[in-house]
Amino acid sequence: MQLLNTILIGITAGSIYSLMAIAFVLVWRSTRVVNFAQAGMALLSTYIGYEAVTRFGSFWIALPVAMLGGALFAALVEVILMRLLVKHASTGPIAAVAPIIATLGLLGLIRSVIAMIWGGQDLRILPPVSNMGFTLNGETLVFSPLKLLILIITLVLMALLSLLFQRTNLGLSLRASAYAPEISRLSGVHVDLIRTLGWALAGAAGAVAGIFQTVNGNGNFSPDSIEFALLLVSGFIAAVIGGLDSLLGAVIGGMFLGIVIAFVLIYVNTSLFFIVPFIILLIVLFIRPQGIIGARAGRRA
Amino acid sequence: MHKSKNSKHIGLFIFFGFLLFLLGNQVDELRVYQGASVAVYVIAISSLILLTGYSGQVSLGHGALMAVGAYSAAVARNELHMPIVLTFFVAVITTAIAGALLGSAAARLSGPYLAGTTLALAIGLPSLANQFEVLGGEQGISFDVGYPPQRLGDDFTQYKWFFWIAALTALISMWLLSNILRSRYGRNWRAGRSNEVAAQLSGINTARSKILAFTLSAGIAGLAGALLSMTIGTVSPSAFPLALSFSLLAGAVLSGVSTLSGVMIGAVTLVAIPEIADVVAHRIGSSENVTTNLPGLIVSVLLILTVLFVPNGPVEQHHARAAKRAVNKKS
Repeated sequence: MQLLNTILIGITAGSIYSLMAIAFVLVWRSTRVVNFAQAGMALLSTYIGYEAVTRFGSFWIALPVAMLGGALFAALVEVILMRLLVKHASTGPIAAVAPIIATLGLLGLIRSVIAMIWGGQDLRILPPVSNMGFTLNGETLVFSPLKLLILIITLVLMALLSLLFQRTNLGLSLRASAYAPEISRLSGVHVDLIRTLGWALAGAAGAVAGIFQTVNGNGNFSPDSIEFALLLVSGFIAAVIGGLDSLLGAVIGGMFLGIVIAFVLIYVNTSLFFIVPFIILLIVLFIRPQGIIGARAGRRA
Repeated sequence: MHKSKNSKHIGLFIFFGFLLFLLGNQVDELRVYQGASVAVYVIAISSLILLTGYSGQVSLGHGALMAVGAYSAAVARNELHMPIVLTFFVAVITTAIAGALLGSAAARLSGPYLAGTTLALAIGLPSLANQFEVLGGEQGISFDVGYPPQRLGDDFTQYKWFFWIAALTALISMWLLSNILRSRYGRNWRAGRSNEVAAQLSGINTARSKILAFTLSAGIAGLAGALLSMTIGTVSPSAFPLALSFSLLAGAVLSGVSTLSGVMIGAVTLVAIPEIADVVAHRIGSSENVTTNLPGLIVSVLLILTVLFVPNGPVEQHHARAAKRAVNKKS
């Protein structure tokens, strides 16, 4: 029973990490930048979702509103910050690290602005369905209707995303401009626009990850929420496990990470919560630095 | 010729130290305390400049490395009752060992991978401190360097003592570091950063060179951590938040990562920002939310603007402009 519980908890958390990892991968594929502000964007989207819940009183309106807000904000960041960055900071000793520093600055900026507008205290989003566990053979599971819902929505979104990528012209352009921007440009793809779209999709995915991370926890969130630090680290690690380039890899990486963390927490020690992802990351980078999916010789970022 | 340049540098550092000594006697307590903070930041930022500017790596984990240094100094002081100078050495060596371990992982990583790994470390490490009894959990442990020696006189305050220790340490480490950067090692780091393949072809072991840079950088960060906890008086997980790593990065970028000579700019800015924010907040009469978060906002905005418009730092920018002017004059 405990084994089943552990796996179910792991899969639910893992699906949230997968969404975050997908956001990392989408941004990486469109602009070759690891967006460390992703967690900040997810947090901002969660606040937007919170405002929508208080205005309209429904979680089901809040989720799409948060996704839209996250997408718009991410697109704005790409258009303003990333294009300036390419223009100004592409030479000199700092060129390789400038995008990292810029997205970190953005992370700090988002955090401060959120804290200025909404204050530092905890806010709360109530889950749309019960988080009381199902009962099976008279025993109560940790797995609840809420976790089931999170799992279903995440899977549906992933399916939609893969349909978009595999079956539509837009998806083809997205893939083409990720792998060969110059050739895509020559064949008439608006590469710049497609890049912005990649960021927008990532913003939307991050928004869902942020809201689910909140309701899957205790429902509370604040500018300094540790849940979001964990989301940032876990999403990044899941993306790295998957190879940073592959959407499928991001999903596998997220699920793997979620299940491993769940096992360590339940069978070893809950206080290892924050150090486990770090250790997993080190192990992955040592034994298979190119990720599970991906066959490049080494990591050259 | 090389030797004469070095001795000139010693003279410069001694002169600078004397200037600081005079200044320390003139200003009030708060300024002396801020002076100590500036000295701590100078050391911490220079460790990041060494890493980022000279070996092309970015670390978001230097806050965590500072914590390692602070804890090891405090444990050496509290449990083993070492003299204060020795505790600083302990801090440097312990953190350097941690840095060597991290560096051997880091040498295989580049750019965003290293940044992400060190970010995971910065978030994970402080929570580990709660696991060990000897480190005192959330409350942390005290780190007391003791009163200033009696012979310095009765009106020699505690803060002035902190300032003396921090400023002297900063001067010595800056002198050592600027010499290392001009040595063979410094050239190897720069070569590896500019073009890794070319450096390898000319016989530089870039992996070993990167590990060495990380080790040295970590050792210096550990020293800064020990000094920081000296000025606070205690070591606890909350003294080394992720925000500290961010501030250091901002300080390094503001100073210009490619040269050590701008390091004062970043350090003074980091210490001045809370004061400036306070003045601004009072002027516009803002709410409490705005006041408490204004320093963070300013740091972030400065970080972004510097990376966008002065990516290689003010000192380098000035040099580049001067060089351009010289070329224009000639033609």
